[in-house]
Amino acid sequence: MDRTLLRTAGAAVVGALVTLAIVAIFSSARPQPAAPLTVAPTAPAAPAAASSPREPRKFEDVVVSTEWLAQNLDNPKVRVIEVSVVPGVYERGHIPGAVNFVWTTDFVDTVSRNIIAPERFQELARAAGINNDTTIVLYGDNNNWFAAWGAWVFRQYGAEDVRLLDGSRSKWEAENRELSTRAPTYPPGNFTVRQRSDLRVFLPDVLKVVRGEDNRVLVDIRSPDEFSGKIFAPEGFQELAVRAGHIPGAVNIPWKKALRDDGTFKSVEELRQLYAEAGIDGSKPIITYCRIGERASHTWFVLSEILGYQAALYDGSWTEYGNSVGVPIANPAGTIWGVK
Amino acid sequence: MSNALPGSSPADRAASSKPELTAADMLRYGGAALVCVTLLAGAWLLQTTPGRGASAALSLLIGAALGVAFERGRFCFFCIFRDFIEQRNAGPLYAILTALAVSGVGYAIVFGAFLPNPASGRLAPDAHIGPVSPALVVAGLAFGLGMALSGACISGHLYRLGEGSGYAPLALIGALIGFGLGFRTWNWLYVAVIADAPVVWLPHWIGYGGSLLLHLAILGILAFALLRYIPPLPPRPARKLDITYLREAIFRDRWNPLVTGALVGVIGVAAYLRVEPLGVTSQLGSLTRTVMAQAGWLPARLNGLDSFAGCATQVVQTITDNGWLIAGLALGSFGAALLAGRFQPAWPRAGGSVTALLGGVLMGWGAMTALGCTVGTLLSGIAAFALSGWVFGAAVFAGVWGGIALRLHRWT
Repeated sequence: MDRTLLRTAGAAVVGALVTLAIVAIFSSARPQPAAPLTVAPTAPAAPAAASSPREPRKFEDVVVSTEWLAQNLDNPKVRVIEVSVVPGVYERGHIPGAVNFVWTTDFVDTVSRNIIAPERFQELARAAGINNDTTIVLYGDNNNWFAAWGAWVFRQYGAEDVRLLDGSRSKWEAENRELSTRAPTYPPGNFTVRQRSDLRVFLPDVLKVVRGEDNRVLVDIRSPDEFSGKIFAPEGFQELAVRAGHIPGAVNIPWKKALRDDGTFKSVEELRQLYAEAGIDGSKPIITYCRIGERASHTWFVLSEILGYQAALYDGSWTEYGNSVGVPIANPAGTIWGVK
Repeated sequence: MSNALPGSSPADRAASSKPELTAADMLRYGGAALVCVTLLAGAWLLQTTPGRGASAALSLLIGAALGVAFERGRFCFFCIFRDFIEQRNAGPLYAILTALAVSGVGYAIVFGAFLPNPASGRLAPDAHIGPVSPALVVAGLAFGLGMALSGACISGHLYRLGEGSGYAPLALIGALIGFGLGFRTWNWLYVAVIADAPVVWLPHWIGYGGSLLLHLAILGILAFALLRYIPPLPPRPARKLDITYLREAIFRDRWNPLVTGALVGVIGVAAYLRVEPLGVTSQLGSLTRTVMAQAGWLPARLNGLDSFAGCATQVVQTITDNGWLIAGLALGSFGAALLAGRFQPAWPRAGGSVTALLGGVLMGWGAMTALGCTVGTLLSGIAAFALSGWVFGAAVFAGVWGGIALRLHRWT
């Protein structure tokens, strides 16, 4: 056989082996993921997380404009997070530097019906380069529905500075602002979960209100037809309750009323008036709920974060309440399951 | 665009162009210009629609590009398979192999940006990675038989619509009916075999680099093995590369399979990067689903269907991006066919009409059950390193082979 050919082949094999060796060394030297941190789900909340509402913050400190965000994209103290419902929306172009949080896996437990476990959440937040003093700005599609849900989870786990992008993703797009398809990487942050218990309520808490043992007020943010019991759920939604109507004593203020036509929040004064007209003026603690808990987090954000009222979210919402046995229900429309 | 591979036999070449323009030529060129203007104006109008305007406009243009590439390269899965099965001519098959190789490279690049860590257990967003079940194999076989019966796959019929084929509308109507049958059998199949079927995505185990290496290695081995089925090249006279030559190479002669395949691959990557993976059945299935939902023929619940990626169907009141892609495909093919003198409208014959319709039904059922057709599940699936794409592709090929052996394709 031709010697030159043999030599060439030999060189090629050696080259391939060297390349393999280099790849092997580099891949084994890659930083290993940090050992999971354990925070007991039932650990008593740190005393720092007080249960009293904090001082109302300025509107600009909880809702940021697209202009502010555009100027702060390189600010190392600011971390932008996208929470969109439609798959592929973040990947095909997000606000430069924004981290993707998927609501079905990163904010909820995938097995039991619950929010994400604190230790897992802490891992995700640290991987996104979030520290305890980071300003977290959330945005997403669908009028920030799940961005607001994300804000609620962040606040529950002790993040202090959590803001929403006014007008959601659609305003940023409508203004033809910069988008990027590159997934960012950040050095790990040191975010430590400090669980608060005052932003979330469960069925027994709601029943106390219904029985008059608690002076909280209930805000149902679903459509008037769901509230009255004419329909079980809007068309196309799979999650249902076997009873129609609402929790007795709740007032109905659809979530969208907090927004202007262009999707931005109404002014603080307009918002205060909107809820005051329905008797929600912040003098009593508030519980918001909807069907599965996500739209109600939008109203929770308005009441708790923008207006500074003491408000909690009942994330079990109507799909838990309307399916529960033996609970009192208000059903003005008289719709009965399975019977005409 | 020379014929380095004999994808086109000399007979594929039209007679050399006449020097003077006839009235028919003027009509053809005018028509093609009109198609161009329609596409551009349509894209401009769509783009100004608030909301999802840009992606609809882009879908229309991507569809048009695909239509031109399909028509100019005769990228018809059935014809390509038939040439190999009947004449042992593997030339056209290289178009598919090239498309898969190019789109595989592109997908690996896009995946790296979309989902940096494929080992996380998450799948790349909306990539066509489907469950691998016996239902997928049966769907592929049915789809292949349907291709043989009707003379083309669904994308083939869409571009033949632009060539004036009389069978294409019948086959597409058949596909709509087939989709309806697919919705009726879905719940049963889902519980029986699909729900527990593995969704195998190669990068989950060996990363994007490893997947791409394996992908290219398999395609390379196939290409190498098929070399002996390439007939000798026809003699080509030396020619000057002038404007006449270019015009003929681009607008008249069948494109080289390698060029066609590479273009289809690039278009597929562009579509995935900007809108959604290529597929041509989502709007057809959605149309059927909407009509059936309104008529009350749809099962009250289609278990698990909407949780799978693929040519997803939904109850819609509007034209989706996929609808614009299909419109662009037919229009682009029409324009290209006009320029090439391949627009030859013909009425279907009675016997052929029945088989076209029946073939369409089989293809519709197969595409619904497999969550896509030769474009959505085969091309976009294999490009995404999904095992489901390879399994479906093999089953379709076997189905076409069976159909040809049974001489089903003699009717149309």
